[in-house]
Amino acid sequence: MLLKAKTREALIGYLFAAPIILSVLMFEFYPIITAVFYSFTQYQPLQAQQLNNTIVPEDTLSMNLMVFPDEPGLTVESLQDDFDLEFFIETDVGITLSERQREALQYFNTERLLTDFLEGKLKEEVSIKDFMSVYLKREANLFVKYKPKIVGLENFAKLLDDQYFWLSLKNTVVYTAIVVPIQTFLAVILAVVANRGIKGRQLFKIIFFLPAVTSSAALSMIFKLIYAKPGVLNKLLNLSVDWLQNPSTALIAIMIMNIWSTAGYFMVTYLAGLQNIPKSLYEASEIDGANFRTRFTKITLPLLRPQILFVSTMGIIGCMQVFDQIYFLIKNMRNITLAFYIYRNAFEYSKMGYASALSMVLFALILIITFAQKKFIKEESYF
Amino acid sequence: MKKSLLIVVVVLFVSVCAFAKTQIRVSGWGNTTEEAALQEMVDVFNASQDEIEAVWEPIPDFSKQIKVLLSAGTAPDVFFCDIAWFPELAGQNAFLPLDLYIKKENYDVEAFYTPLVDAFKMNGRLYGLPKDFSTLSLFYNKAIFDQYDVEYPEGQMSWDRLLEICEEFKSKGYDTPLTVAADFNRVIPFIKSNGGELVTEDLNTAITEPAAREGIEFYCDLVNRYQVAQEPANVGGEWIGDAFGKEKVAMAMTGPWTLGVLREQFPNVMANTGVVEMPMQKEPATMIYTVSWTINRNTQHKEAAWELLKFMTDAGQQIFVDRTGVLASRKSIADNDTDPMKKAFYDGAAYGTPWSVPTPSGVFAEANDQINSRLKDLFYGKITYDQAFEEIKDHYMSWVTAE
Repeated sequence: MLLKAKTREALIGYLFAAPIILSVLMFEFYPIITAVFYSFTQYQPLQAQQLNNTIVPEDTLSMNLMVFPDEPGLTVESLQDDFDLEFFIETDVGITLSERQREALQYFNTERLLTDFLEGKLKEEVSIKDFMSVYLKREANLFVKYKPKIVGLENFAKLLDDQYFWLSLKNTVVYTAIVVPIQTFLAVILAVVANRGIKGRQLFKIIFFLPAVTSSAALSMIFKLIYAKPGVLNKLLNLSVDWLQNPSTALIAIMIMNIWSTAGYFMVTYLAGLQNIPKSLYEASEIDGANFRTRFTKITLPLLRPQILFVSTMGIIGCMQVFDQIYFLIKNMRNITLAFYIYRNAFEYSKMGYASALSMVLFALILIITFAQKKFIKEESYF
Repeated sequence: MKKSLLIVVVVLFVSVCAFAKTQIRVSGWGNTTEEAALQEMVDVFNASQDEIEAVWEPIPDFSKQIKVLLSAGTAPDVFFCDIAWFPELAGQNAFLPLDLYIKKENYDVEAFYTPLVDAFKMNGRLYGLPKDFSTLSLFYNKAIFDQYDVEYPEGQMSWDRLLEICEEFKSKGYDTPLTVAADFNRVIPFIKSNGGELVTEDLNTAITEPAAREGIEFYCDLVNRYQVAQEPANVGGEWIGDAFGKEKVAMAMTGPWTLGVLREQFPNVMANTGVVEMPMQKEPATMIYTVSWTINRNTQHKEAAWELLKFMTDAGQQIFVDRTGVLASRKSIADNDTDPMKKAFYDGAAYGTPWSVPTPSGVFAEANDQINSRLKDLFYGKITYDQAFEEIKDHYMSWVTAE
């Protein structure tokens, strides 16, 4: 072998890691980079395939002119009179023309097209880009690949005026601000309880962790029934509130559901952290006469600091991106979150560029908060 | 040696021929009954064809999925298109125009109800053949009416009469006689019936004009002011037809798809159900919901797709109408459909409004969400009518113009 042992080892290492590296590049990096690009454009997904579509030019022309080439008495001149090139390209060939493409149509060789039509040379099915390259004398390169219109910062400027952007941003921030502290703290308590020598603690651990392994769609459906007007919650509380339909209770209902379903998952993280706290510390404090509360605040909490940082960071990221529960349960635009609004814009309003801009804002927001948090809560070690 | 070679050649030839069937993918959506009917239609079509093999591929959450598939170039060859999002997809050239085939074969589009064919035209091209259609009518539960001794509703009765019936129920201790949804399309008959319009000539909104506004206010008042109607979820139903089937309400305004559900899931209620035309104010009004069979412009098998389209809107439609209870778009099939429960729905076709609001961008989805959200707020008294209409007026154009 010509390679040095070290290089070889490195190569083999990369080879083993190749599947994950490739999939991260393909499914993480590429989408992120394209989303950045799209946020500066008016990307219209439905136009992406237009130039790859195929036509039988003879049929397309026949439809446009409403004549067949074998009809007697047809001449190029007579056909040319009725022929509207722009309409033909836009409606019958099927290209949504950009301004530059529209201008480039002046180089289109209409005469040659109509001559070929009458001579019956257009019976073969061709792709639209090939068709355009044959009949455009110049600038055929404009008809090779769909290029979205670049609008610069327009999408971002529009954000500022969009009432639903602010509303969804506010909902997202409120949601995060309420859910993260509660779920972080609740998980600590669950972990401490589950870690004590109480009877049936394995059972408790399973019960607490169960929501984390249940699909959020299934959970949403269960909560839909609980929260319904004739549902269990109203029966218990003797109320008659439609929790999910009523705009003032819907978001709170989702928060409660999310705290319940994630606290158990984060509990596991704390449980691992609790195993790392030396028993001797507790023993020493007990000898010194510390009660349970003092031990909890002075030993357990400070020593769980790295886990708390981790849990709150993951919690913030998760909450900022909350989507599925909103998608399944919320019918009211008043209670939407940013992630849901992104989805709406991209897939329902066909505003892919705007949706990309929104997602850039969400990305920036999460980045800033996470950095700030890392700066303020120092990840120190006590050992 | 020669003989075996010949056999090999023959076998190869036969197998190539067998595989040479043109395969076309067909997609749409439907409840279980409808999907079974569609599968049967595809099977019957395949049995009648030597060259073409259609494959039925249902897609959930269709309207979003199809856009993704179209932009990836992997959409099926033939698929349903709902009138509600037809303008957007047709405007982006997603469909193959059918005009050439119609001209070549002298295909008779007059055989369908004209408004349904016109609904799928754009720029002078026809992009789809109507699969079927639905209108809205008023369902009422005779058993509940009898129990509370209230007179049955009549077709095209006035709004006042509707309210009167509701209040009579309420005074006799039946709290929620009617269920309504915060869906703009359900309000449109009330706008149209009062002489209102949906859009102005320059495609701005016309629903803030007095006539339309009165219609919307009456609809929301049923919930908020008179408190005689509730959203289906509030009375324990998944949707309007479900609430009606579970006998949570005495009346509901819904479409013929509810008949199929009642027949299958609530046969007892079905036996007691009456269907009359929608209530009206100045002129009769209802919604027309329709879906068409369209061909993907990206298809490699244009001719085969057209063959399938012709079958699906003729012999295929007969199967679909027989099995699912929808309304036939082809007049000859509709004429044979003498189900008395469907009469009110067919009658509505004469004056209904197709569920499609023209917009500059072709996309009404955002405006629809925004209006629905305000309807909901109005149901719960979160905002006043003045606020709602002012907001709609101020923002409408930004909801319906492209980025």
